[in-house]
Amino acid sequence: MSFWRRKKFERDMEVELGFHIDAYVDDLVRSGIDRKEAERRARLEFGALEATKDECRQARGLQWMDELRADLRLTFRTLRRNPGFAAIAILSLALGIGANTAIFGLMDAVMLRALPVRDAGRLMFVRIAGTDGRDGPPYPYFELLRDQAASYEGIAAFSMSNMEIVIDGGREQVRGAWVSGYFYQTLGVAPLSGRTLAAYDDQTPGKGGRDGAVAVISRAFWQQRFGGNPAVVGRTVHIMFDTERTVTIVGVMPSEIMLPEPGRPVDIAVPITLSDPAMLRDRVSLWIETVARLKPGVSPEQARIESNTLFQAYMTGVRLAPDVHKRLYDHTELRPAAKGLGGLRAQFSQPLTAMMILAGLVLLAACVNVANLMLARATACQKEFAVRLAIGAGRGRLIRQTLTEALVLVGSGAALGIWLAGQGEAALAAFFAEGQYKIVLDLSLNGHVLLFTLTVAVMSGLAFGVLPALRASRFDPGAGLQSGSRGIAGSRLSMRLGRALVITQVALSTVLLAGAAMFIRTLSQLESVDLGFNPEGILTMEVTSERQAFGAPQWQAAQAEVLDRIRRLPGVRSASWATMSPMSGRDRGAILDVPGFAPRTDRDRVVHLAAISPEYFETLGLGLLLGRAFTARDDATAAKVAILNQTAARFYFGSANPIGKTVRFANYPTHDLVYEIVGLVKDSRHDSLREQPSRFIYLPIPQSVERIRRLSLDVRCAGDAATFAAPVKQELQAVRPAFPINDISTIARQIRQSLRNERLVMALSTAFGVLALMLACIGLYGVLAYAVTRRTGEIGIRMALGATGTEMIWLMLREALALAASGVAIGTPAVWLLGHLARALLFGAGLFDLPAFACALLVLLVFAAIAGIVPAHRAGRLDPMSALRCE
Amino acid sequence: MYIILLDGRGMKKQVELVQGTLDMLILKAVSLGGLHGYGVLLRLQQLTGGQLQIQQGSLYPALYRLERQGLIASEWGESDNKRKAKFYTLTAAGRKQLKAEAESWNRFSLVVASVLGAVPEGS
Repeated sequence: MSFWRRKKFERDMEVELGFHIDAYVDDLVRSGIDRKEAERRARLEFGALEATKDECRQARGLQWMDELRADLRLTFRTLRRNPGFAAIAILSLALGIGANTAIFGLMDAVMLRALPVRDAGRLMFVRIAGTDGRDGPPYPYFELLRDQAASYEGIAAFSMSNMEIVIDGGREQVRGAWVSGYFYQTLGVAPLSGRTLAAYDDQTPGKGGRDGAVAVISRAFWQQRFGGNPAVVGRTVHIMFDTERTVTIVGVMPSEIMLPEPGRPVDIAVPITLSDPAMLRDRVSLWIETVARLKPGVSPEQARIESNTLFQAYMTGVRLAPDVHKRLYDHTELRPAAKGLGGLRAQFSQPLTAMMILAGLVLLAACVNVANLMLARATACQKEFAVRLAIGAGRGRLIRQTLTEALVLVGSGAALGIWLAGQGEAALAAFFAEGQYKIVLDLSLNGHVLLFTLTVAVMSGLAFGVLPALRASRFDPGAGLQSGSRGIAGSRLSMRLGRALVITQVALSTVLLAGAAMFIRTLSQLESVDLGFNPEGILTMEVTSERQAFGAPQWQAAQAEVLDRIRRLPGVRSASWATMSPMSGRDRGAILDVPGFAPRTDRDRVVHLAAISPEYFETLGLGLLLGRAFTARDDATAAKVAILNQTAARFYFGSANPIGKTVRFANYPTHDLVYEIVGLVKDSRHDSLREQPSRFIYLPIPQSVERIRRLSLDVRCAGDAATFAAPVKQELQAVRPAFPINDISTIARQIRQSLRNERLVMALSTAFGVLALMLACIGLYGVLAYAVTRRTGEIGIRMALGATGTEMIWLMLREALALAASGVAIGTPAVWLLGHLARALLFGAGLFDLPAFACALLVLLVFAAIAGIVPAHRAGRLDPMSALRCE
Repeated sequence: MYIILLDGRGMKKQVELVQGTLDMLILKAVSLGGLHGYGVLLRLQQLTGGQLQIQQGSLYPALYRLERQGLIASEWGESDNKRKAKFYTLTAAGRKQLKAEAESWNRFSLVVASVLGAVPEGS
C-alpha cells in the first residue's frame, strides 16, 4: 500500500469512527440524556479508541508495515548516528558481494549460460574420437551424415578461420568462419536484418548458390565497420583467401551466436564450399566441427549409433596406418551442444572455480567483519534494549529490529556491490578482449547473476545478523539496566565472541594472502622461465602465399625478396621465415625413424617439425651449440639437411654427437625423406611456458617435407617491435600487394597473452587478499579498542601500582599478536588445502609454498601490529588517575 | 471477544463469543440492506431484541477484516442526518459465506441440542 493510500485510510477511519460516536451521542441526547453525559457514555461504550484503530489497522494487514517502518526509521537513525560503522559495514559487504557478483557473472558467461538458440537441448556436436582424444570429423564424412543420417533434423559444419577482406579498397583482417549453408537454420538463429545463409548458398563448390557467393556479418562488425548502416545488405566485399573472391553480404546475424562457441567473436560467416576445394575433398583432415539437431523422439544414443555406422562405412574407404586409425579415427561420438563447444570453458573453468572460492572467502570475511561490528554495537546499545524490554517490547521485535538493521546494511551493500561488479565486469571484459585471441564476453548483468547476488546477499545478511539477533533475544533487562559502563552482563561472552570472530578473519586472510602469494610467485616464476631465446623485440606475423603462386618458385623468390627489403629497414637487426614461431599457438608434428634408436611406443617417434629460413636462429637469438646453421645453399636440389634441438638429440642419440647422423621421416612412406643432421641448437619453449622443451627438428624451407603455404615472418628490431608493424607490412605489400597478412603481434606480447589466466588469477587473488587483510585489520582494531576501553580501570590500577606505559602497550599489543597467531594457526591447514586444490594453476611454487607463505605471514603480522598499535598506544598513555575515576 | 447477554431477569452476563460468530452476525445484518457501522450495531441490537450487546468499538476491526476478505464492500454515502458515512453491502462471496456459515451453525446447534436433549435410557 502506498504512502498516500495509507494516509487516506487513516483519514477515512477517523471519519467513520467519529460518525459512529456522534450518531450514538445524538441518539442518547434524543432519548433525553444531557449532552455531556451522553458524550461520556458514548466514549465509554465504544471502548479505547486508539486500541480499536490499531485493531482495525491489523485487520487490514497494515500493522507489519507500521512496525517495519518504525524499524527502518530506527535503523536509519542509528546508522546515521554511527556513520563510521555504517560506512565500514556497507563498504565491506559491497566489496564482498561485488567480488562474488563479478566472478559469478564471468562464470555464467563462460561456463553456465546456454547458447541463445532455439531448443539448445536438442543440439549435439558430432565428433570422432580415438585413444588420443576427440576432434571434429573430416568434411566428406559430414557430407555423408548430411545426406544420409535420418536421426537429425539438420546438421551443419563450421570452421573458424582468419580472413583478410577488402572493403572500399582497404584491406583488413577479420575473424571469419566457414559454415555450411544450413548452419543457422540448424541452430535456429534468425537474422537481425536481411536473410541468413540457406542450404542453397553452398550448393556449388567455389561458386555458391543461386545468389552467387554470399556472406553474413555479425551485428558487432556491422556496427563497428559499417556504422550500423542498413544498406549493408546487398553490398559486396572481397575475401582474400586462396584467391580473391567477391561475396555479397545478405544479412546481419546476432554477434553472440555467429558460432556455437561463446566468447569467440566472428565478424563474417561465409559458405564453406567457397573454402579450399582440396580441404573439402580431403578424407582425413580434421578442420571442421559439426553441429546437429536431433529429430523429435530420437535419442542421442540412437543418433550416435546411426552416425557411427555411417562413420565405419566411411572409414573403409580411407587408408590409414592402423595406429593412427585407432588414435584418432576410431568411432563417432555425440556431445551436447547446449553450452557451446567449450573451448573457453576448458580454458577457464579451473581458474574461475578457484576465483569463485576465493571470492566466497572474501564475502565470508566481510560477513564476519560486519557481525563483529554489530556485536560491538549491540553491546553499546544494551541499555536501550534493556529499556525497551522493560517497557514491554516483545523479544520478537528486538530480534526483528536487529535483523532489519542487518538487511538494511546488506541491501545497501548489495546495491553498491552490484554497481562495483558492473565496473569490475567492464574491466574484466576489457581484459579478455585484448590481444589477438580476443574473447568477447557479454558480462552485462542478467537475471541469473542478479538472482545469485540476491541469494548471496540474503544469506550473508542472515549469516551476520542472526548472531546479534539471538543475543538480543536472550538479553536480561534487569542486569542490563543495573550495570554501569563496565561489567555489562554478557560482555565477557561478547568479548570472547568478538575474539573468535577476529581469529576467523585472520584465518581467512591468511588463506587469501597465502593464495595470492602463491599465484604471484607462479606468475613471476613463469615470467622468468628461460625460453632458450630472447623474446624481446621480435615482431611476428603470418603471411600466406596466394593460390596462383602456390608451390611455385616465385613464392620462394618472394620470400627472399621480402627478407632483403625488411633487413634494409632502419632499426631492423634480422628477419627470417619459419613455418611456426614460438608461442604463436601453431604446432606441427612428424614421425621420425632414427637408425639405431628403438622406439618403445609410437609416441617416441613423434617430433615437432619446423621449416625455417637460414637466419631463423639468429633472429630469435637461439644459440647454435654444434655444427652449422642452414645457408642459402641448402636449397631443394642440395643434399637434405636438418638441425636438432638438445632434447631431440639427447632423446635419439644419447650423449653421442648427432652431427653427421641421418634421420628419416616416416609420415610419407612414398617418399624417401632422409636428412643428415648438420647442427645442434639450444632448446626453446615453443607452446607453453609451463611445459618442458620438447623434441624439435628444423629443416630448410626449400627442403620441407610438405608444401608450405603459410609462413610466419619474424623480425628482430631495435626498440619497440610493435612500431615496426606498419613499415614491415608495407615492404610485404611492395613485394606482392595481395599477400594475406594475419596475426601481427610481437612474441613478447604473445607470451604475455599466454599468461592471461595466470595474470587474471594473480590480480584477482591479490585484490582479494588485500581486501581480507583490510577487513581483518578493522576487526582487530575494533576488538582491541574495545578491550582498552573495557580494561581502562585495570590499566589504571596497574599503572598506579608502578607498571610503565610501555608495559601497557606491550600488554595490548601482545593480545593483538596472540589473536593474529591463533588465526594463522587455524588458517594454515586451509592454505595447504588450497595449494592442493589449485595444484594445476601453480608453477614453480610448492603446494604448500614456504617462501610465499612466509611472505603472507609477514605482511599479516605487520598489519596486525599496525592495527594493534593505535589502541595499545592509547592504553600506554592513560593517566592512572583519570583512568580510575572513569569507573 | 465477549458479548453481553441479558438473562431472563435482565441481568447482564458476559459470554465469550465462539470464534467467527460476530462475523456471521455482521454478515447477516448487512445482508438485510446496506448499513453504516452504527447502523449494523443498531440492527444487531434490534434483531436480538436488545439481548446482545457488544463493545461498540469491536465492530470495526470485524468490518475491516470482512471487507479485506472481500465478503462485504464499502462505499461512502450520506446518512439520514445528512452526514458523510461509510455504507457496507454484502458481496456475492459474502452471500455464499453467510449461507454456508448459517447452515453449519444450524447443524451444529441441532447436534448440540439433541445431545443436551437426550434422556437416560430406560427412564
